[in-house]
Amino acid sequence: MIEFKNVNKWFGKLHVLNNINLKIPKGEVLVICGPSGSGKSTLIRCINRLEKIQNGEIIVNNTPVHDKLTNLTKLRAEIGFVFQQFHLYPHMTVLQNVMLAPVNVKKIAKAEAKKIAMEKLEQVGLTEKHGVHPAQLSGGQQQRVAIARGLAMSPEIMLFDEPTSALDPEMIGEVLDVMVNLVSEGMTMCVVTHEMGFARKVANRVLFMDEGAIVETGTPNEFFDNPKTDRAATFISMILTH
Amino acid sequence: MMGFYFSRLVEIYPFFLKGLWMTSKIAFISLVTCTLIGVILGIFRSGNNIILKRIVGVYVAFVRGTPFVVQIFIVFFILPDWGIQLDAFSAALLAMAIMGSGFICEIVAGGIDSISKGQWEAAASSGLTLTQQLRLVIMPQAMKVILPPLVGQYVLLIKDTSVISVIGVMELTRVGWVTVVRIPEGLMVFSLVGVLYFSISYPLILLSNYLERKMAVQ
Amino acid sequence: MLVDFNFRIIFEYLPLFLTGLRSTFFISLVSISLALVTGVIACACRISGIKILKYPAIAFIEIIRSTPLLVQIYFLYFGLPTLGLRVPEIQTGIIALMLNSGAYIAEIIRAGITSVDQGQLEAGTASGLNYIQRMRFIILPQALGVTVPPLLGQSIVLVKDSALLSLISVMELTRCGQTMTSERFMPAEAFFTVAFFYMCIYFCLKALADWSQRKLIFREAY
Repeated sequence: MIEFKNVNKWFGKLHVLNNINLKIPKGEVLVICGPSGSGKSTLIRCINRLEKIQNGEIIVNNTPVHDKLTNLTKLRAEIGFVFQQFHLYPHMTVLQNVMLAPVNVKKIAKAEAKKIAMEKLEQVGLTEKHGVHPAQLSGGQQQRVAIARGLAMSPEIMLFDEPTSALDPEMIGEVLDVMVNLVSEGMTMCVVTHEMGFARKVANRVLFMDEGAIVETGTPNEFFDNPKTDRAATFISMILTH
Repeated sequence: MMGFYFSRLVEIYPFFLKGLWMTSKIAFISLVTCTLIGVILGIFRSGNNIILKRIVGVYVAFVRGTPFVVQIFIVFFILPDWGIQLDAFSAALLAMAIMGSGFICEIVAGGIDSISKGQWEAAASSGLTLTQQLRLVIMPQAMKVILPPLVGQYVLLIKDTSVISVIGVMELTRVGWVTVVRIPEGLMVFSLVGVLYFSISYPLILLSNYLERKMAVQ
Repeated sequence: MLVDFNFRIIFEYLPLFLTGLRSTFFISLVSISLALVTGVIACACRISGIKILKYPAIAFIEIIRSTPLLVQIYFLYFGLPTLGLRVPEIQTGIIALMLNSGAYIAEIIRAGITSVDQGQLEAGTASGLNYIQRMRFIILPQALGVTVPPLLGQSIVLVKDSALLSLISVMELTRCGQTMTSERFMPAEAFFTVAFFYMCIYFCLKALADWSQRKLIFREAY
């Protein structure tokens, strides 16, 4: 479903993605972790071309993402993206936030789009908040709206860029619960996160990155209990002591 | 003596109303064209296309770096030299459009730049085209930042139309200038001219102040 | 078009342009200094809370800001003689620029003073400083930094505004362009040269304004 072939990317002299090769089959839940600056966010931002790559190839559903001829809007419509800082549109209500893309990208009639949006809000447990503006919501609620917004386009893939890092501890659970539910529906997901509990519970595979390269991969239990490399071991002990 | 001149001034008041009408007409057309061009240039200026950005940057530097009266002379004297014939009225509108759009461009670009990159990315991620991102997500938010200084700029532009009198367009200031030759009461004539300008710009200044307070609260 | 741009004629007129440039410098420098004084006084009156000072100051500021500078220049140029005052053009022009920029500067300073945190004033009052002391030791030092960039912005405006003095035949930069145009009828050479000199002044002042703005942001960050 998603494939990286020899992908390289530099920010100036910094080699942020170092020869990445990766296959993510349909229905897989992949958790990506690693120290800050390891390139994990950049990796998933390349999948919907929020970042450009200098060489190599990324293929999503047989579409080369970084080809000039690729219809970017069509590609992005099939991939949901959830940001660390939510990035809800502050000038719109919750419902308008969720409806915006279905109405304007898919050209779905407003009434129909509203129905879809309410379904997605129900899925994240926020139907009663549909008329308020994002500023009136807590961080956890905002992030759940952001997930509903991503789901409104009925994407085949959902990408999460540290979805709980900007949240107060007591709100992390509600967001993770929504994500766990998504997994049970068979969604293909890439999640950049340090939430070990989430990874152990639902991830098929954990991918550890450092200095722009994939250092090791494995099942969650393998990775967290018996890391193969020293770097991964150090990293795990650090997030455990936190 | 003053009473005599005052009654003469009262006699020729339609002349002043005509000037006021001309000033309003030029101001209105200019504000509309300046805003349209300014918004487009502002979008280029804040955009990612380096070449367009540079070109608009040079344009803005010229407009902001030279006096409006010099710009008028360039449009009015030099374009005919290059084979483009313009009457004074069109030259005035053209000069206003060039000058005003340069200033408005900066205001618009500032407003767009004030919106966080995340808003663009969120909109792009859900598949909106660049135009849709601007129209539906960025501009509605940027308008709050743009509006107060924009109205303030409108006041400056309306006042700048007075400089157009130098190429002989019969607007308010020119009317004052012509009148003062016949009725040598400078204080009286230009007080009247001033009052008429005041009646247009002061309400806009109040509006600008109001918008600024209102946006600051939000 | 630009192919037959005559550089020789520009060199021929260079001494004239340099006199004009000097005159523009002189007028701007004198006007901005006087405008600063006017602005401080007008602002002080406006925030003084004494009605007899406050309302005239407000009237002065609002009238100036809602009428064009050119009308103000003509008002003085044609008006002062009717009062029996014979003032040379250049002085008339400087007075007009002084009053005009003074009104804007008054508002810049007022904005600077109101930008100082209210808690600062309370802290000053709490430690027993009187009004003058609070102004001198707490408000002004903080307000001054904030006002520097917009004051430099206003001086950019003033330099360009001084071009309007050419319309009451003050021999400054723009007037030199007009002179050359009427003598040789080469408006392109004349006004592009004039524009070039203004751009030079603009870039210097702009660099200064940007620099002071950066210094300010830097200071606020710590």
